[in-house]
Amino acid sequence: MVDITPMSFSLFSGIWGLYVDVKSLIKMALQPMPYPVDWCGGGDNPVKGPTLQLSDIMKTNRRTIRSYEKRIWFLKFGIFFELSTPRPLTRQNEWQVYHNGLEQCRLADELGFDHVWAVEHHFLEEYSHCSSPEVFLSAVAAQTRRIRIGHGAVVCVPEMNHPVRVAERAAALDIISNGRLEVGTARSSTWTELGGFQVNPDDTKKTWDEFCRVLPKMWTQEEFEWQGKGFSMPSRNVLPKPYQNPHPPMWVTVTTPGTELDAADRGLGCLGVSAAGYEEQERRTKEYHRRIQLCDPVGGVINDQVHTMNFLYCDEDYRKARDIGVPMVNAFNVANTHLYWTREAYPTRAYQTLGNAGAGMKAKKAAVDDPSLAKGLPEGVGVGDPEHLINTIKKWEEIGVTGINFLLNAMEMVPQEQVLASMKLFAKEVMPRFRSKEDLAAPVYTPTSLPAFVGAEK
Amino acid sequence: MIVGSANIETLAEDAATIESFGTSEIVFEDVVCFQMTMEMRNQAREAVLPKGLHPTVPATLSMQAWEIGRSPFGEFKMVVCRIGCRSGVRARGYSTRVYTNTQIAATALKQEFGFSTQLAEIDFRHSFDGTDVKVIFESRVIFEAACLDPEPMSNSDVQYTGTLNLAHTPNGLRLVQLEAHHVASQVERLSSRLLSFDSEAWGNSLLDPYTVVSASLAYETVTFPPVRFVCKPDELAFTGTESV
Repeated sequence: MVDITPMSFSLFSGIWGLYVDVKSLIKMALQPMPYPVDWCGGGDNPVKGPTLQLSDIMKTNRRTIRSYEKRIWFLKFGIFFELSTPRPLTRQNEWQVYHNGLEQCRLADELGFDHVWAVEHHFLEEYSHCSSPEVFLSAVAAQTRRIRIGHGAVVCVPEMNHPVRVAERAAALDIISNGRLEVGTARSSTWTELGGFQVNPDDTKKTWDEFCRVLPKMWTQEEFEWQGKGFSMPSRNVLPKPYQNPHPPMWVTVTTPGTELDAADRGLGCLGVSAAGYEEQERRTKEYHRRIQLCDPVGGVINDQVHTMNFLYCDEDYRKARDIGVPMVNAFNVANTHLYWTREAYPTRAYQTLGNAGAGMKAKKAAVDDPSLAKGLPEGVGVGDPEHLINTIKKWEEIGVTGINFLLNAMEMVPQEQVLASMKLFAKEVMPRFRSKEDLAAPVYTPTSLPAFVGAEK
Repeated sequence: MIVGSANIETLAEDAATIESFGTSEIVFEDVVCFQMTMEMRNQAREAVLPKGLHPTVPATLSMQAWEIGRSPFGEFKMVVCRIGCRSGVRARGYSTRVYTNTQIAATALKQEFGFSTQLAEIDFRHSFDGTDVKVIFESRVIFEAACLDPEPMSNSDVQYTGTLNLAHTPNGLRLVQLEAHHVASQVERLSSRLLSFDSEAWGNSLLDPYTVVSASLAYETVTFPPVRFVCKPDELAFTGTESV
């Protein structure tokens, strides 16, 4: 068994469209190559995927490097859905929000966006009516061809989702989408949700960790049994297995500062869901990239991508973009602050900030606790004309972020036709500055374009 | 966006009066602060708040019992009833009524902070194995909680939100924002039961706490800086906030 270093794993993860350290690749190529190599590396990681020859891996890596010369550093653009719904909370309004979202996904697929993400939230009036993301994402999978489909994220507490059901649903969605699934994991940060399911907040970090470790096993082992803290089960074959081999890339949603380190330690992607400023994001991203080099991966692949959440409203006229985009951002933030945050409700070590809004609130509190201040537009928000957005996104790219996921609307503040126009303008004027036409035209992970070792058993 | 819908004039019926805002901080020392958070049913969540505030989702209410060892107003106890809310995007508690056990404190709490305050008998007992709070007003028990099994917590694990008091001020009828800075030396989390709650006595018959979320006890020093902001009760904080 060769000792696959963490860096070599980032080469695998490069196949998901990210970060490859060329120097490390050369260094690795010069080293002796014992065979064979398990995907998941050695150590005591019990997840076993298909055995590969290191020569195959190197071949793949070389091919990857070549193909990534143009692609490797290009930033991924995603769209992110909370499915926030305006009052009155009528069935018609909910129907409209869902169907507008699906139309946006179809357009995003055509325009070359890379990801669609959908959250899982429960009971969050107005803020998010996306309680069954697997259903929404299944519809997206059926109506799109190339865009990757992300759980952003599955709530990993057994009172809400039994881990077997998470594994089963994800595998089925991966099959239906032809291997386009990304699986984000989360633990929920509001008492509104945790209290609704009578979850003990002290336990959510532990159950999240347990889910992260068992999901890859369920996806890859024919016989799975478990005696754990959050759940236990006798030996069963959890079916179906996902289409991607060994399994879809895994992520952690990051709200609380420090969670990015939990992601790094487990070899999981960092899916930011709260806006941080450039400086803070740079600090977190650097530390994440440093830490993931030392990770003990919970799954069969390391995902070392760092995505951040942002808002998007793009118009040729900067002032018009702000006039429309800023109220949308503010409406989202106000609805967010109506939630009852776990830290506010329940004294616990497990929640150290007031959720999404908390970081901003805490930072500002030191200076002034003026209630007239909306959260407003922090730096780096994607609202403006194309030139402004290009400059903004360049800064995010410079600090090492590998993807930006945009909220396109909030409480339907922006009429659907304007949302679609904003997406089209962004794709026409902004996106090409970060990738070539060839990249934009390239299909993403259709069965025939999967790397050789993905689905190699077929 | 959900906002309060209560009649401001009705809410203001027993509002306190602040003749002038203080200019120096007020420090409470040797404080024992009990906080109990509860959920209310959502039916009345908008009806109990002024238009300038947003309810939380779900509707919430917290009771705070304070035993103050040293203060400019002497030694006293007080119990505050607060509705969980948001002022702009800030987490706050809108106080409906306060009971205290000394006349000096009652006067000071009204004049300095704008609390709607009444005198009552307060029984606040805390020991190694539990905490009990009982408020008796006009021979009636209007609040009683029993808590057991204290668990030590880190001093930063308990969260207090700022308090808003509806009061007559030099600026007019305003929500006065109190920013208490809590520095704890010991914090415990408790298993708790709500034994009695008289909503009328706490300022609004629509108050409906029906399930306890948590309870904590902290030994601390609390500093109140001078009031910096007041808000118009019938206008959202984004536009209705005034500096003092």
